[in-house]
Amino acid sequence: MITLIGQLIIDGIVTGLVYVILAVGLVLILSVSRIFFIAYGQFYMLGAYIVWSSLALLKVPYFMGLLMAVVATTLLGLLCYQFIFRYIQYRGSFLANIVAAIGLMMIMGQAGLLIFGTIGRSVPPVFPGILSVGKISIPVEKLVLVILTLFIAVAAFFVYEKLKLGRAMRAVSLNPEAATLQGVKTNRVYLATLGFGCALAGFGGGVMAPVYVIYPEMGSNIILSVLLVIMLGGMNSMIGAVLGGLVLGITLVFGQYFLGSMAQIFLFVVIGIIIFFRPGGLLGSAGLDI
Amino acid sequence: MLKVKGLSKNFGGLSAISELDLDIFNSEILGVIGPNGAGKTTLFNVISGFYAPTKGQVIFNEQDITGLKAHQVAQVGISRTFQVSNLFMSLSVLDNVFTCHHMSYRTSVWKRFLHTPSATEEEKSLRRSALEILEFMGLDPLKEEPAAKLTHGQQKALNICMALATHPKLLLLDEPVTGMNPVEIQTMLNLISRIRSRGITIAIVEHNMQVVMNLCDRIVVLNHGQKIAEGLHKEIVENQEVIEAYLGKDEE
Amino acid sequence: MAVQDWTYRLNNFRGKKLIAIAFLVFVLIGIPFVIHSPYYIHLLIITGMNAILAMTFIMMLRTGLISLGIAAFWGIGAYASAALVLKAGVSYWFALPAAPIITGLIAWAIGYLVVRNPGFGFLILTSVIGMLIGLVFGNIKWLGGFTGIEYIPPPNPIQLPFLDPILFISKIPYYFLMLVLFLLVFISFRALYTSSIGRAWMAIGLNPHLAESTGVNVFRYRLIAFVIASAAAGLEGSFYAHYIGSINPNAFNIFKTIHVHIYAILGGTGFAFLGPIIGTFIMTFVPESLRIAKEIEPILTGALLILLIIFLPGGILSLFDLRHRHWQSFEGVIRIGKGIKNSPSSSEQRNEENHVKSERLK
Repeated sequence: MITLIGQLIIDGIVTGLVYVILAVGLVLILSVSRIFFIAYGQFYMLGAYIVWSSLALLKVPYFMGLLMAVVATTLLGLLCYQFIFRYIQYRGSFLANIVAAIGLMMIMGQAGLLIFGTIGRSVPPVFPGILSVGKISIPVEKLVLVILTLFIAVAAFFVYEKLKLGRAMRAVSLNPEAATLQGVKTNRVYLATLGFGCALAGFGGGVMAPVYVIYPEMGSNIILSVLLVIMLGGMNSMIGAVLGGLVLGITLVFGQYFLGSMAQIFLFVVIGIIIFFRPGGLLGSAGLDI
Repeated sequence: MLKVKGLSKNFGGLSAISELDLDIFNSEILGVIGPNGAGKTTLFNVISGFYAPTKGQVIFNEQDITGLKAHQVAQVGISRTFQVSNLFMSLSVLDNVFTCHHMSYRTSVWKRFLHTPSATEEEKSLRRSALEILEFMGLDPLKEEPAAKLTHGQQKALNICMALATHPKLLLLDEPVTGMNPVEIQTMLNLISRIRSRGITIAIVEHNMQVVMNLCDRIVVLNHGQKIAEGLHKEIVENQEVIEAYLGKDEE
Repeated sequence: MAVQDWTYRLNNFRGKKLIAIAFLVFVLIGIPFVIHSPYYIHLLIITGMNAILAMTFIMMLRTGLISLGIAAFWGIGAYASAALVLKAGVSYWFALPAAPIITGLIAWAIGYLVVRNPGFGFLILTSVIGMLIGLVFGNIKWLGGFTGIEYIPPPNPIQLPFLDPILFISKIPYYFLMLVLFLLVFISFRALYTSSIGRAWMAIGLNPHLAESTGVNVFRYRLIAFVIASAAAGLEGSFYAHYIGSINPNAFNIFKTIHVHIYAILGGTGFAFLGPIIGTFIMTFVPESLRIAKEIEPILTGALLILLIIFLPGGILSLFDLRHRHWQSFEGVIRIGKGIKNSPSSSEQRNEENHVKSERLK
């Protein structure tokens, strides 16, 4: 029994870490640039597909493919800000941001479907083998996922806490006007935030590609779960995103095992109840004002 | 009329008000003064229901209104203006005041939905009431102007009109003359006296000492969230603590 | 109907607007006798259905609620109606009014929990509902599970005193039923908007803090808007179920809701009725006439949305009515908390909180 629980927990953590990366990126975008970036899932999909294409078609090494994925999503994110969101950012309008993000989501989603086809794809195995600790086993590729994710998470935290850019981001997330008065170029910050956030999404996709099946709808499917994670952990809190992601991953895995397809409903209901009692999420400040 | 007992309000680790006791008596004009950050606006926010106090009570005409939400406090008879003009910018002046009459509807909701003659009558009479308030404050020539086009002083006056629309017994004015030139200030002073003569009790947060001295019956001084003095003009002006609060202690 | 028109055009309801509307209704009644292609009648019916949904979106939007759960309540109405007719054996004419009532009650229960968190919280919670509903219906075997309910009977024939009973076989009776429902929704929505309830909504939409301080129970009025909008969606769902003849949980998803949003925004959210109608009309008829391939339709729609929001945020109708070009009407609704204009009490609160937070930044 303990082995089972342990195994499930490990699987849950692995699943959860993908959510963690995405949630951290989305929290960043959400709290700094206030864009309800529902197109975020599509960048995740893009990252995964680029890794697949580079491995299966171009035959480059995995880390090269991962790098390409991250570079591509970052560039695309920067372009999106520069040509779309930059124009609506300063209106202060919630709805405008959401609508633009929805438009982007539709474009990217359909484009992905058209370019990559409708069948699910599998990346040829990159890290074969299984590691066993006692009676708990974990495929090596999942272990690689864990390590890479932790590495990036630490890097993200480092940027956010220590670097000047991170401080600028935090300032803008608290009060853009005051930040301007302090000499922060909010436009640059918004640009960097979207780029960085999309980089994380691409990384998340690239990192999960060797482990899970990739299919065109994965972007739309995952964004809603990520939003839930963020709501759970608090919309302005990165640590909340981490915790929320892990909780989601573990709960999903346990739920899948014990409850089957009802797991998702069960999960949503539980999270809904938590959100009701703590509208700011478990760790967040009380969300955005309207 | 209004009693505040042992009121405290904390924001995170910051104590905006601590252990404050305050009384506002019927038909008086009370001045609330103090240096910036003393907690004056927070006090108004707590009384009018925008913040719930961390500790303490607010009692209005024998009724405990502590923790009531803002709309409930308005229904009880306390009305307020804001430091920064808070208006329905895209509506006309008349519409601004008319919208604030929402509390005064007597016909049932169904009748209003079906637009029965009695409901329409009531709408007309509430419109007239809105116009009367504008006339009282001298704003009726502007009644069709969009609120955004008013001058600063006019907007402040409009704010007061809107506060009056709820037929309050107690009116809380937050810095009513800030940013006005002397002519506007004099007009505002007259208006506030006229409001009092209509039987409405008033409490004013103000920095302009002339206004406070001329207008207010009693004065309360706050500093760091606590009451440091209370009384008539002479007592306040000569109070050592008050002087220190505003000017700082002597080095010797 | 422009924002300012609500308040002092009460008396002008008998004015030229009424004539224009009557004329339009007359034209609409006449259409089936002129246009005989069932395909176009079908398109008109679809337009009517989606226009109603778009109108409900705007009703909620005006009070500051951006709902991603519209399709969910649409679905609840559809399932309720189908279940009543198929499982309880009642006549459609009982199910039709029952559906909005059932939907409204459920919306009241859900709204009571969800409307508490206006803004972002509401957005995410309604998107959760939007996602959830498909799963919920899919897992209820009694309601057909993931294959849905098929063979939903058409509405029962209407017995008329001297004429033949009206049978719901061709599209034309459905057309008239949709017209009736549409007018019903239109009239009741308009009555609401021009009453004190609508004024309270407008106040909430413009400046919720101010509205609250003038005695408007912001929560209660938002809840009312939510319930009424959802009930209307449920009514529409009932029609949908019996018109299409089968329902499937996959149809009631967030992407449907997003399409509804698009219809409303395209037309112009400043207009409670004309906006949704025009937007829905364009989005229903234009792709058809341009024979746009299914594959690129989302791409074009997405691009359209982005261009629209950048250059013409007030929707198409804003080209004709300059007052609404910049969404001025909705300062309070769709302001991000730290946008250009802040309501004073919230900015003071934020100042206090920022004071605390700035300690942490160091």
